[in-house]
Amino acid sequence: MKRAAPIRPAMRRRLDGWLRGESRCARVPLRVSVAAGLAGGVALIGQCWLLARIVDALALDHGGLSEIAPCLYLLLLTVGLRVAATVVAERAAFEAGARMRDSLRERLVAHAATLGPTWARTHRAGEVVGTWLDATESVGRYCSGYLPQAALAALIPLAILAFVIPTDWVSGLIMALSAPLVPLFMILIGKGTEALNQAQWRRLAHLGGHLFDAVEGLTTLKLFGASRAEADAVATLSDTYRRATMAVLRVAFLSSLVLEFLATLSIAMVAVYIGFRLYYGAMHLLPGLAVLMIAPEFFRVLRALGSQYHARMEAVAAGEAILALLETPPPPAPAGTRDLPGPVRTVRFEQVWFGHGAAPVLRGVDLALARGRCVAIVGASGAGKTTMADLLLGFLAPDSGRITVDGLDLAAIRPESWRARIAWLPQRPVLFHGTIRDNIRLGRPDADEAALRQAVARAGAEGLIAELPDGYDTVVGDRGQDLSGGEIQRVALARAFLRGADLLVLDEPATGLDAANAALIAASVRALCADCAVLVIAHDTLSVRGADAVFRLTDGRLVPVTRPGDATGAAAPPTPAHHAAALP
Amino acid sequence: MRTAWRLLALCRPHLPLLLAGIALNVGVVLANVGLLALAGWFITAMALAGQGLAPIEYFAPAAAIRGLALLRTGGRYLERLVTHEATFHLLATLRVWLYRRLEPLAPARLQTHRGGDLLSRLRSDVDSLENFYLRVLAPTVAAVLSGLLLVAFLALYDPPAAVALALGLTIAGLCIPVASERMGRAPGRRAVAVRADLRSDMTDLLRGLGDLTVCGGVEDRAAAIRARGQALTAAQRRQARLGILGGGLSGATATLTLAGALCLMVPALRAATLTGPELAMAAFLVLAAFEAVAPLPAAFQALGETLAAARRIFALVDAAPAVTEPRQGAPLPSRFDIAIRGLRLRYAETAPWALDGLDLDVPEGGRLGIVGASGAGKTSLFNVLLRFWDYQAGNVTIGGVPLRDLDGDTARGLYSVVAQHTHLFNASIRDNLRIARPEASPAELHAALRRAHLADTVAAFDDDLDTMVGENGARLSGGQARRLAIARAFLRDAPILLLDEPTEGLDADSEQAVLDGLRALMVGRTTVLITHRRAALRDMDAVISLSAGKACSAPPDWALR
Repeated sequence: MKRAAPIRPAMRRRLDGWLRGESRCARVPLRVSVAAGLAGGVALIGQCWLLARIVDALALDHGGLSEIAPCLYLLLLTVGLRVAATVVAERAAFEAGARMRDSLRERLVAHAATLGPTWARTHRAGEVVGTWLDATESVGRYCSGYLPQAALAALIPLAILAFVIPTDWVSGLIMALSAPLVPLFMILIGKGTEALNQAQWRRLAHLGGHLFDAVEGLTTLKLFGASRAEADAVATLSDTYRRATMAVLRVAFLSSLVLEFLATLSIAMVAVYIGFRLYYGAMHLLPGLAVLMIAPEFFRVLRALGSQYHARMEAVAAGEAILALLETPPPPAPAGTRDLPGPVRTVRFEQVWFGHGAAPVLRGVDLALARGRCVAIVGASGAGKTTMADLLLGFLAPDSGRITVDGLDLAAIRPESWRARIAWLPQRPVLFHGTIRDNIRLGRPDADEAALRQAVARAGAEGLIAELPDGYDTVVGDRGQDLSGGEIQRVALARAFLRGADLLVLDEPATGLDAANAALIAASVRALCADCAVLVIAHDTLSVRGADAVFRLTDGRLVPVTRPGDATGAAAPPTPAHHAAALP
Repeated sequence: MRTAWRLLALCRPHLPLLLAGIALNVGVVLANVGLLALAGWFITAMALAGQGLAPIEYFAPAAAIRGLALLRTGGRYLERLVTHEATFHLLATLRVWLYRRLEPLAPARLQTHRGGDLLSRLRSDVDSLENFYLRVLAPTVAAVLSGLLLVAFLALYDPPAAVALALGLTIAGLCIPVASERMGRAPGRRAVAVRADLRSDMTDLLRGLGDLTVCGGVEDRAAAIRARGQALTAAQRRQARLGILGGGLSGATATLTLAGALCLMVPALRAATLTGPELAMAAFLVLAAFEAVAPLPAAFQALGETLAAARRIFALVDAAPAVTEPRQGAPLPSRFDIAIRGLRLRYAETAPWALDGLDLDVPEGGRLGIVGASGAGKTSLFNVLLRFWDYQAGNVTIGGVPLRDLDGDTARGLYSVVAQHTHLFNASIRDNLRIARPEASPAELHAALRRAHLADTVAAFDDDLDTMVGENGARLSGGQARRLAIARAFLRDAPILLLDEPTEGLDADSEQAVLDGLRALMVGRTTVLITHRRAALRDMDAVISLSAGKACSAPPDWALR
């Protein structure tokens, strides 16, 4: 009962072409599948002929078992052949689908790595994974179901006609005339589904999803005493959903009615014509029986294509989502080749501009970070703080201006070499499926136990790890132990602290922490600062009290904040002297 | 088995429609088999007549063949309409039933440690259940009925051939599908498990792409995903091969059954108890009869799925509500002070106490701030006040009326709640506001929005009050959604205000806007505020700290940010 949203014809044609092109990687198994399917079709013709001979021998000539024995043996042979052909054809079809699906999925995953974290952050993980996993499955089904069936729907009827026309040209003519009408009506069926326009489709999806919205909001409904009355709305909307869907189905089924009518009537006509020609002695019973036996198979292959038709529709919809992802260009990011010679001492933003079109996010930012110094940037959400971190991490490249590392332009440095010197606490840190220990050691897999414990102590995470069922070996993440936001934050801080980097970038380190833990973190950052440069990003100055310098990012520029307490109130007016202080 | 009966019991109100659908389905199958069988008889009889061996009156059968063709097509259209109509009727009944059963359980029994899980599973489970008739019940019953009728009809002409047909249909329709479903279970389960693992590997990679890029782990993760994808393909391959083999064998069964039936009919033919045309008719009947059982493999596959989904849903709705409602609810209190003495609550027999001897008082119109670490019992206190959970010991009174004497809806009528997570329905802003007061006039709605500092934002939307907020309010920012919840609270106009972390997760500017809205709302209302944000506590008369389910009067300064 699920339907994909309709797609504009031009787009659909493009997607059809793209799907065919993509299926080229499964060419070999597809050919094997079609060849085996055709062999099965030929065996089927043989089978019908043999069965007709047996019936003819028994019904007309009243023969005995001995007369039909040769035919029976041959029949067993064709049965074996058909089973073998079916198995080969469908196994090859499975392999074709798997090949196309796996290749697309692997390309999608690889492409995500080039699109980078700034892209990942702006997309809902659930939706992207849906495309990676479910949309590729749809495309795989198209390749394993629709494509071989489409070839067989052309080949097997031809093979059948090649047998029927010499056997009984009248029946052959009836079948040959009605066959082209079948694809015609299939297209009409497709059009019928398309008759469901965007607005109708949205309405049906909305009606269909209402129950789940209501269940999800049950607590809210209860708070307003509206939960019982909502049952009536569920009933009314389910009923509306029924009527709306049935109105669509009544039309959609009509085209398949015509299709079935065509197939059934052709068979009836074949039977009646054969009957009368037999009556007038114009033909023999054997070919008549054989043709009558094969006629349903002729239309069955064509109908099977019809049932694969929605696999194609689904694949086209899925292809749209896949193509949209694959065609997303990666953001411009540094891709230098030089390796950093030694430990990083200073990092500078020099007149960095960044942002699209008329309203740049950063308008000439200057900032110096140096070993032994802790710099904090505060500002409202959307001011561009995280963009600064993204530029620093090499996820994005400045539109103009540059970032230098010990005098070397970041754009010239190999990103891996640069990032190996950085520890970063993102705004929403992630714990991966695995043990707490592996999660903390993510940035330094070879860290020894002593270093691990020290980082954990600095992050204030000792207590929470001790309370977990298996301590450091507790499995966390999506399918593991649930941790609260504050607990995840502290584990992620331990991860950043353990990394032993030259530059430590902390995006909102105090999120989800109580004041005692926030103070502990601030002290730890101070202690770490002796061996590295630190950049702290926060939306208020309270969590950056220990910083050597605090800047407020507003209107795309950095303004020094004289006393940390001032940042939440009116900031000191920027003066050229203050501004100069940003570049020691 | 019990699950299946319960599922059938749910279908009962639509029995006539369900039976009509099945009857039509049987009719279509019989018409199709009849068409071919009659055609086989007809051409053989015509051939005999043409040789002058047996006279024939050919108008009736020729007309009957055409009639059956029409019957089959028309019947098929009608059958699809009726079965779908029945399915949607069933869907409506099921949804209302499910909603009514879930309603008393919310929120206590619908919470799992991972909230999203329950709902996404519910969605697919309901989908399975709704398709129970269309995918399982109708095709199975129709296949059995038409199979029996065809065997019985054939037995009239030649009993041994009928036995062969019965055997063949049983093998193709029952044995092979059941065996392949049984054998496919293990690889099927494995495929589902690997797929779930793959999904969370992918989610990990996407959510943690930043961490991994910096730490240099992207390549390894992508390689792990590739390996997992191959494992999934391998599991699916095993499953698919079983199905393929089953399909191939079913096809062979049909031909072999026909060959067997033909051999078995030879003696009757020899004894002249069976005529040539009758033998041809039987042959075509046997061949076409297998179409009756063709939908069974898919139905068996769906049956397993549907029963598993039904078991999960029944287990969910069979949970006992977390709150026992009083036999006769007490009338509303006339004062709105809150007094709590020795309150103890735990969520399970073996769980630690979430509230452990809590005492607190809020005078009418007073404002109490509550701080404390997560897990200190703040949310549990609200769960008790809102009658979402029953407590094990102690007393809670509002205006002197014991809370337990009030039924849930009455008790909740006392409060306006603004919480960190307030559900916004996938509907217009107007509808979302009207949940709080269904009869509210547009002027009242605008006034509430103004007081919640949301009027300008809404006015800037294209459709003003008719703007759709999207699924879970996706089209609004966090601060806007929170202020919409405050606007609801203004409309609600209840005497007691419960605020649960109303500004958590908002940036400073949004927090200020939300606090401005709340300040106006608090005037003249008894207020309890849970927070650990300093800014939000400025307007409180008193602040207490919760720790291990007990109240400490002096809130330590370090507990705040």
